[in-house]
Amino acid sequence: MSHAVFNVAGMRCANCAAAVERAVRAVDGVTAVTINAASSRACVDWEAGRAGLRKIFDAVRKSGFEPLPLAGAAAVDARCMEKRAALKRIGVAGLGMMQTMMFVYALYATGTHGIDTAIAQYLKLAGLLLTTPVMIYSGAPFFAAAFRDVRRKSIGMDVPVAAALTLAYVASVVNTLRGSGDVYFDSVTMFIFLLSLGRFAELSVRQGSMSATEALARTLPPTALRMDSRGRTERVRVESLEIDDRVMVPNGGVIPVDGVLESPQSSADESLLTGESRPVTKGEGDRLIGGSINTGPAVRYRVTSRLGDSTLAGIMALLARGEAERPAMASAANRAASVFSVVTLATACGVALAWACIDPSRMISATLAVLVVTCPCALSLATPAVFAAATTGLARLGLLVARPDSLERLARVDTIVLDKTGTVTSGCATLRVNGLGHGWQADTALRIAAALDRHSAHPVAKALAVYDDPSLHVDEGREIPGHGVEGTVAGQWWRLGKPDFVRSKGSSAGEVPTCRGEDSVALGNAQGIVATFDMRDEARPDAAAAVEAFERLGLRVILASGDSQEAVRRVASSLGIATWLARMNPEEKLGFVREQQSHGRRVAMIGDGINDGPVLAAADASCAIAQGAAIAQASAGLLLMNESLAAVARGLATARRALRVAKQNLAWALVYNVIMVPLAALGVLPPWVAAAGMSTSSLAVMLNAARVARPAQA
Amino acid sequence: MNSVYILIPLGFVLVAAAAAALLWAVDSGQYDGDVEEDGRIALEEDEIAPRQ
Repeated sequence: MSHAVFNVAGMRCANCAAAVERAVRAVDGVTAVTINAASSRACVDWEAGRAGLRKIFDAVRKSGFEPLPLAGAAAVDARCMEKRAALKRIGVAGLGMMQTMMFVYALYATGTHGIDTAIAQYLKLAGLLLTTPVMIYSGAPFFAAAFRDVRRKSIGMDVPVAAALTLAYVASVVNTLRGSGDVYFDSVTMFIFLLSLGRFAELSVRQGSMSATEALARTLPPTALRMDSRGRTERVRVESLEIDDRVMVPNGGVIPVDGVLESPQSSADESLLTGESRPVTKGEGDRLIGGSINTGPAVRYRVTSRLGDSTLAGIMALLARGEAERPAMASAANRAASVFSVVTLATACGVALAWACIDPSRMISATLAVLVVTCPCALSLATPAVFAAATTGLARLGLLVARPDSLERLARVDTIVLDKTGTVTSGCATLRVNGLGHGWQADTALRIAAALDRHSAHPVAKALAVYDDPSLHVDEGREIPGHGVEGTVAGQWWRLGKPDFVRSKGSSAGEVPTCRGEDSVALGNAQGIVATFDMRDEARPDAAAAVEAFERLGLRVILASGDSQEAVRRVASSLGIATWLARMNPEEKLGFVREQQSHGRRVAMIGDGINDGPVLAAADASCAIAQGAAIAQASAGLLLMNESLAAVARGLATARRALRVAKQNLAWALVYNVIMVPLAALGVLPPWVAAAGMSTSSLAVMLNAARVARPAQA
Repeated sequence: MNSVYILIPLGFVLVAAAAAALLWAVDSGQYDGDVEEDGRIALEEDEIAPRQ
C-alpha cells in the first residue's frame, strides 16, 4: 500500500475538490482519496502494484487541475508563481478599471450636459478597447473555472460570476457597435478587479494555513552532509541516513533527522515544531529535532533515528491521517454555496423576465446587479477561512491540529481531565535509590533498570536514561501500560514498575527492602524485589497558571493519575485543583471519562499520548504531549509540541473564538444577501455598487477570519 | 475638442506602460513575500533533486 500527499493547484470550492476526488478514485488500484479544498491538499492511498503516482497525477491533470509535489523547490516555486500570477491579474485589472472609468465617466455626464455623438461613440470604443484585454487576461481564471463547472454539469460559485461578466461585456459590445444603449465597461473591469482582490485574500489565507503544517515538509532538505570517520563529508539522501551516522549542518541549514549534538555549542530554531519563536540554545549531548534550523555555527551531530522514525515523520504521518476527516461544518457550507449559486442564477433569470415585461431598458442593469451582488464566496469562505486561521493560531502556540474537527470539539468542552505524570508535572523526575536487596549494589540495580526502560517513553525512563549502559542487552522487552516494563537482561528475567506489579511474579514477597516511599518504583526478578527507587516529580512552572486559566474559562479541572494518593494530593493542592483521583489505571481513567460523558459533560483529556491512548481516543477533545516517533501513535486530536499547559488554555480560548467568528461570518453572509438581493432585483442598485458590495462582503469575511490567527488570551 | 482625439490614445500608451512596468516588477520578484524567500534560502544550500 502506497500513500502520497500532494497539492492540487486551481481548486476553488467543494465542487472542484469533488471533481478531483472522482477523477482520482476512477484510477485503477486507488483505494482511498481525500481532497481538502481549503488547504488544496490531496491524500491518496493506492496498491503499489496496480496504480502509480504518475497515473494519479495524470488523472488530476485530466480533470483540469494541476498536481504539485509538497516537498522541495517545486512546491515553493508553485506557490510563488501562483501568487505572482494573481498579483499581475490584479494589477492589470486595476489599471484597466481606472482608465476605463476615466473614459466612461464622461458618458455619465451626458444626461445633464449633453455630448457630441461622435465623442460619445469614441469614448465607448476606447472603453471597449481597454476592457477586452482585462477580460481576457484578468478574467481568465473565472471563465476557466466556470467552464470546468459547466463541463462536469455542476454549478460552482464561478458560474454566476462568468455569466455576469459575459452578459455585461456582450451587452456593452453590442450597444457600442449599434451606437445606442448603455455600456457597462466600467462595471466589468471593476467587478474583475474586486473579485481578483477577494481571491487574492483567499489565496493568502490558504497559503498561510498551509505554511504552519506543510512548512514542516517543505523545510526538510532532500540531502544531508554525512561525515565519515576521517572527517570527510559526503552528500547523501536524507532517507539513507542510519542511526549513529555523523551529520554536518552548516549555519542556517536544516537539521534533517533527530539526533544528539556532538559539537560543543549551538542554537536551533524549533519554531515550526514547538511554536517557540526564540532560538533554543543547545550544548553537547542535547537533543536536536529533525526539521529545526541550525541558527548557530556549523555543527556535527549523531543521528538517533532514521527519517521514518523521526519526530517530523511522526507529525507528518499524523497530520496526513488527519486530512482524512474534513470539518463537517465547513463542507456543509461549501455544499450550501453550490446550492446558493444555482438559486442566484435562477433568481437572475426571474428578474430578467420580470424586467423584460416591465421596462426592457432596465433589464440588463438589474439582472447584472443581481448576479454581481450575491456573494457565494462569503458563504463558502465563512467557515474554512476561520478554521484555517485558527489552525495557524494554534500552531503559533505550539499546538498542532491533528484532526480537523478537534477545533470544534475543543471549543465545546466543559470538563478537563489532566494526567499527572509528564503532563502536569515535567516528567523529569529525580530518582533516588531507596532500598536495596541483600548483596545488591545501587549502581548495578540502576543499570539494569535503565536498560529495561531504554525504549520506554515513561518519565521514569527519562530519569533513568543517565544510567544507561549500552553494553547491556535487553531481550523480549515489553511495556505494560500503567504498570511497568519487563524483559530479559543478561539472561535473567526482570520487571520494573509499580511494586505490586513487580511483586506479582516474584515468589518470595517477604524480602522487600524496607523504607518504601509512596512514589516508589521497584526493580525485581523471579526471586522478588531487589531494589526500590523513589521518584519525586514537581509540577511544571506554568501548570498553576494554566489551571487557573482553565477555571477562568469555566471548565471543571480534574487531576487523574496512576500514582499514589500522597503524590497526587501533593500536586493537586500545589495547583489548587479540588478534584483529584489517584491510583487510576488507564482502564479506570477511561471508565471515569465515559461516566462523565454519560452525565452530559463534554470532556477534554490531556495526557502523554502513550499510556493514555484509549482515554484520549474516548474523550470529546484530546491533547497529547508527545515527543519522538511516539507522536504517530498518539490518538489525540491535538498535539502539544512545547510542553506548556498554558498554551492549551490559550488554544481552547482560540478555538472558542474561532467558533464564534465562524458563526458571525455565516450570519453576515446570510444577512448581506437577504438585504442586497431584493435591492438589486428592484433595480435600485447599479451594477458597479453591486460589485463593490459583493467584494466588501467577501473581504469582511476574510478579515474577520484572519483575526483568529492571533492566539487568544486565556 | 480635438484634443480628446490625441489625449485618449496617449492615455492608452500610459496605461500600457504602467502595466508593462508592473508585470516586469512582479516577474522580477519584487513582490515575493519573505516567507517564500526563507524557504528558498533553506533549500538552495542543497542542490535540489525531486524527492520520491
